[in-house]
Amino acid sequence: MARLRKPAIVLSFTKTTDAMAVEKYCMAHNLPGRLIPIPREITAGCGLAWKAAPEDEELLVSSLKEDGLPWSGLYHMEL
Amino acid sequence: MIQVNAMGDACPIPVVKTKNAIKEMNGAGVVETLVDNEIAVQNLTKMANQKGYGVKSEKLGENEYKVTMTIGDAAVEEIEAEEPVVCAVPAKGKNVVVVISTAQMGSGNDELGTTLMKGFIYALGQQEVLPKTILFYIGGATIPCEGSVSLEDLKSMEAQGVEILTCGTCLNFYGLSEKLAVGSVTNMYVIAEKMTQADLIVKP
Repeated sequence: MARLRKPAIVLSFTKTTDAMAVEKYCMAHNLPGRLIPIPREITAGCGLAWKAAPEDEELLVSSLKEDGLPWSGLYHMEL
Repeated sequence: MIQVNAMGDACPIPVVKTKNAIKEMNGAGVVETLVDNEIAVQNLTKMANQKGYGVKSEKLGENEYKVTMTIGDAAVEEIEAEEPVVCAVPAKGKNVVVVISTAQMGSGNDELGTTLMKGFIYALGQQEVLPKTILFYIGGATIPCEGSVSLEDLKSMEAQGVEILTCGTCLNFYGLSEKLAVGSVTNMYVIAEKMTQADLIVKP
């Protein structure tokens, strides 16, 4: 059974707690996306990432910046 | 958008009908195919992946599934290259049963454990081979209910043929009997049967 893949943006974090803070923040502010285990294509390490639709990139990034929530990388990929 | 009714059609008819609809559309667009079995969902998904179309599937009801394909401009030329439709049979792999009996994965920190469980269910849905059955009971019984962040992942697995069963005693105990949002209610006989007949039990 092949996986269904769709374009997505993925934010990575240096700390698990940063990822969990972004989840809390996005849920409280009704921002799009969801927490997922970081895709193997990005890193083999253990970690969490925030996944959202490509069209939500601007809203997400500007909101996180404005409220000072840190992330380490932003990737465009098919997930 | 074109809708294709392939209810009651056996493989390879749903794939053939869908291919014809895409041809007819002659450009970018969306084709929705209604089918009545999981094998057809799998075959359509496979076809879409091979052709590079966007694809998602949804279980609408007992024996009713909708497969939605999004065809981009670039993909259209490829359709000319015709290849035979392979009628897949369900994977004859191991009978893998995933048992989720807590809302958290592991113990030590409930907040982290809840996050890990969400991640586990997502990753489970991303595996090349999906489990045959997922059982939810006691603390895990909240996961297939309304308001759960894992519903999308579970619904997608269900549409691909994964059986999702939740303990009715547990739903009743938590007052969640009306809130089950994916899969069906089961009892301890079925839970015992699924577990004893499994080749492999996965318990996160």
